[in-house]
Amino acid sequence: MRGKIAALALGVASALVLSGCVASPQTPSGQDTGPQDITFWLIGNDTPQSLRDYLVGQYKQVNGGTLTIEEQTWGDIVTRLTTMLPDSANTPDVTEIGNTQSPTFTNVGAFADITDMYSQLGGDKLLQSFVEVGKVEGRNYTLPYYFGSRYMFYRKDVWAAAGLTAPPKTLAEFNQSVVALTEQNPKAIADFSGFFLGGQDWRNGVSWIFANGGELAKKGANGQWTSTLSDPATVKGLTQLQELQLKASKAPSTAKDQSPWLYINDSDSITDTAGAVTGSTTLAAGTIMAPGWAHWSIGDLTKNDAGRDVRQWNDDTFGVFALPGNDGKPAPVFAGGSNIGISAASKHQAGSRELLTIIFSDTYQKMLGEQGLGPANKDHMSTLGTDQFAQALIDSASNSKLTPAAPGWASVEASNRLEEFFQKVADGADITKLAKEYDDFITPMLNKK
Amino acid sequence: MRTHHDAATLSAVRPAVKRRTRFAPYALILPAVVVLIVAMGYPLAWQIWASMMKFGLAQQFGQPPQFVGLENYISMFTTATTWGVVARSLTFCLVNAVLTMAIGIGLALLMNAVGKAVRLVLQICLLLAWAMPVVAVVTVWIWLFDWRRGVVNSVLTELGLHFTNHNWLGSALGLYFVATVIVVWMSVPFVAFAVYAGLTQVSEEVMEAASLDGASALRRFTSIIVPMVRPVLMIVGLLQIIWDLRVFTQIRMLQDAQTPLDSDLLGTYIYRLGVGSSDFSMASALSVFVLVITILFSIAYVLSLVKEDS
Amino acid sequence: MSRTAIFSRVRPSRVIASVVALLIAAIWVFPVYWMLSSSLLPNVVLTSTRPRFVPWGGSWDNYLSVLSGGSFLRALAISLQVTLIAVAVSLIFAFLAALAISRFKFRGRKSFVLAVLFIQMLPAEGLFIAQYKMMSTAGLLNTVIAVSVLYIAAVVPFTIWMLRGFVAGIPAELEESAKVDGCSSVSAFFRITFPLLAPGLVASGVYAFLQGWNEFTIALVILPRQDMRTLPLWLRSFIQASQARETDWGQVMAASTLVALPVIIFFLIVQGRLTSGLVAGAVKG
Repeated sequence: MRGKIAALALGVASALVLSGCVASPQTPSGQDTGPQDITFWLIGNDTPQSLRDYLVGQYKQVNGGTLTIEEQTWGDIVTRLTTMLPDSANTPDVTEIGNTQSPTFTNVGAFADITDMYSQLGGDKLLQSFVEVGKVEGRNYTLPYYFGSRYMFYRKDVWAAAGLTAPPKTLAEFNQSVVALTEQNPKAIADFSGFFLGGQDWRNGVSWIFANGGELAKKGANGQWTSTLSDPATVKGLTQLQELQLKASKAPSTAKDQSPWLYINDSDSITDTAGAVTGSTTLAAGTIMAPGWAHWSIGDLTKNDAGRDVRQWNDDTFGVFALPGNDGKPAPVFAGGSNIGISAASKHQAGSRELLTIIFSDTYQKMLGEQGLGPANKDHMSTLGTDQFAQALIDSASNSKLTPAAPGWASVEASNRLEEFFQKVADGADITKLAKEYDDFITPMLNKK
Repeated sequence: MRTHHDAATLSAVRPAVKRRTRFAPYALILPAVVVLIVAMGYPLAWQIWASMMKFGLAQQFGQPPQFVGLENYISMFTTATTWGVVARSLTFCLVNAVLTMAIGIGLALLMNAVGKAVRLVLQICLLLAWAMPVVAVVTVWIWLFDWRRGVVNSVLTELGLHFTNHNWLGSALGLYFVATVIVVWMSVPFVAFAVYAGLTQVSEEVMEAASLDGASALRRFTSIIVPMVRPVLMIVGLLQIIWDLRVFTQIRMLQDAQTPLDSDLLGTYIYRLGVGSSDFSMASALSVFVLVITILFSIAYVLSLVKEDS
Repeated sequence: MSRTAIFSRVRPSRVIASVVALLIAAIWVFPVYWMLSSSLLPNVVLTSTRPRFVPWGGSWDNYLSVLSGGSFLRALAISLQVTLIAVAVSLIFAFLAALAISRFKFRGRKSFVLAVLFIQMLPAEGLFIAQYKMMSTAGLLNTVIAVSVLYIAAVVPFTIWMLRGFVAGIPAELEESAKVDGCSSVSAFFRITFPLLAPGLVASGVYAFLQGWNEFTIALVILPRQDMRTLPLWLRSFIQASQARETDWGQVMAASTLVALPVIIFFLIVQGRLTSGLVAGAVKG
């Protein structure tokens, strides 16, 4: 019974919060000491168990309280954040958040101001593009957690058979090579793509815009955001992209960025129990663009010790490179990854700040890098290692960019307008006209809170 | 006052029942009414309230919402997208409801027409399909229709048709076709079993008596079976309309795979506005509108249901 | 044959009907078969171009990986609690209401009937904020009871209508005549009405069970804690975790099979009730 009343009281308290009392400024939290039990939301399973264990143990040691880590899923995180982040009785104290979602939630006051901790947590050594999407009016609310970026995987055998040198040195050379590769189709495969890129896949396609100096949106002097699809530099990138879509990629124009690595593998060796071949080749692409961990799914088909069929990377057949820019340096590509922030409604600000200190400590940053997750602090980039995948990740990340830090960016993504736009580009639409049309759709969404 | 009239009619038939049970019907409906008010009352009221506010993520995070009257409705009605979505949804709903009912009734009659062993096989196969979790169902079907590795393309190509690498989800129409296959496949077992359960109510004695009276099979069907099964048909039919008009999971999961241009239906559009764009007032306005559309769309149906009921 | 089939005397048409029935059965069961077959195969085989129709070289590996975390059993327990409460309570509430509207005429009856019909037309996609606020304010987040109440409300309207059809389909005269034969009202109900109602109860129960078993959005919002996940939440987070990297289709299909299995078992138990000669037998007895 007592529990019920307490629960009811909490409920009433949360109702008060919901009805508008949350906007009160956060009290400086240095004073409230003592152990605090806090909850930390991680999204997806990218953070390995060993890192989670470290955080829990370290938090216990530093604060004395219990850290509970709960894993959320990317598909439903917005629903969860929308309902629970404002609810002080149930909010997570610290949460990971997708970097494209960060501006939207930061702008409505979902996160606590941590500007005073900024330099202590790494300051300007933190990835600035990520810091930017967590900033409002010069104050810091969310900071980078980890990054990943996309680079190119290619078939050495197919490129060689077409007489092409790889890796290409500039973006123009890349564009020409994959078109030539498609035309030659050295293995005579039906619907072969020299470079496989889904029509709606704007997260990869945007690299061509960035590489030509274009942007998706810009912030004006008046603080208002404008969609810049029709800017000349953006149009130049889109024109190159359209050429690739029409001449090098046979991917459906409605395809997004799911599992492109399926198209770069052979599967000749699939046989039934009698030894008869039942699988024909699935090879359909000479080149793909994918996140680094895709290399676990690319390779020759073999059996592992347990007798299960697995893919085994083969350096003779497969290779990687970072997409080159016009100047020969890596092109700016879209950076994946996430940010991290303290819920403004959390009652455990002190404990939450201690957790952030642990996460941004040298030890934890190194642990991230050693697991192949790009560390938030640039000083620890070298912990990613020295193999070809680490090298391609570091190269591609050196110049990577994020989506605009506009308050309405999440709305733009949810509206499906970018997918529509890129699909129409891939289908061969008149870019200049189309870009103006979509600028008109997107600009009002960008500034909506 | 029709209720008085009805009550009078009834009391003439069963006076004893009426006197003894004046409060009985209210007691009987009380639990259902309470649970409906508790669970649906507040959300419904909130939705109507929110539909007249400016209520976005900022309001969810504590800013006071601002009353805007019918502004959300006006902007909704003046957006071409809304009407496209409504038209597509109504068409999708009609096609799916009709197909589901026709096939479902057909299968129920088929169950009645075959021997016990065959019936059992058919029933178990339908039950297995019905038992599949929605998430699993859509996952399997997406995969069967996959443009590159799907069984459907593979089989059609074996049959000599040109379906190699055919991209089913590449257009809105293709996506709706696949969605229709999934929705019908999922819903038919329920209709078939509900109707079949209704058929089992037709007792052997009545059928035998009719048969002895010389009634033909067709006459037995139209004058005994149909009236007996009619209430079930009506409610199951109405339910198909309601479900198919706000179909969500199937379309959303197909869109997750590929999103052709203009492929939103009402359910996914509300979701896009609400969860996606955090425009909860527009999502609410649209929800209220969907409620109204559903009522309008099914009003004839509902009236005949209610009429039949009295 | 325990039941009179309307085509019973037409032999050739029955043969054709049987063939058609078996063909339809095969079409309907194929995706289920595909799920089972795929759940036994490793992912690299599943992602090759040519489909493998028979799971040669299959193994239980996928099931072992899926079950290894132990989270499945926890989710199964939550799902069973939520669903069984929803089924039992909604059947009782709906039966009472169905009795009221099919056996009594009363003031407000029509409004009740219409309200019940219309309330289920509200789209669920926009309700989640209100549902969350309500349960959070009541301190009922992460409780089985909160989800059960919402599920009961979601299925009760249909169940009322379904049962109403069955109650109305039972001639009141049957009960009356039983009473004339010396039965009390209560025993007349249990001996005559209830058995006739059984297929309706089973059909509505199955409906309520499936709705509860499959429901996702409400559970997502009301049961945020990881150890309170229902099976659809578990399955979805499993699929999403898998999709975050390369989707392991074999494991996804194994997980789907595990979620479907309890329903299949429930169905196979109920199937006899749905289809046996229970009704005819009961009326005779």
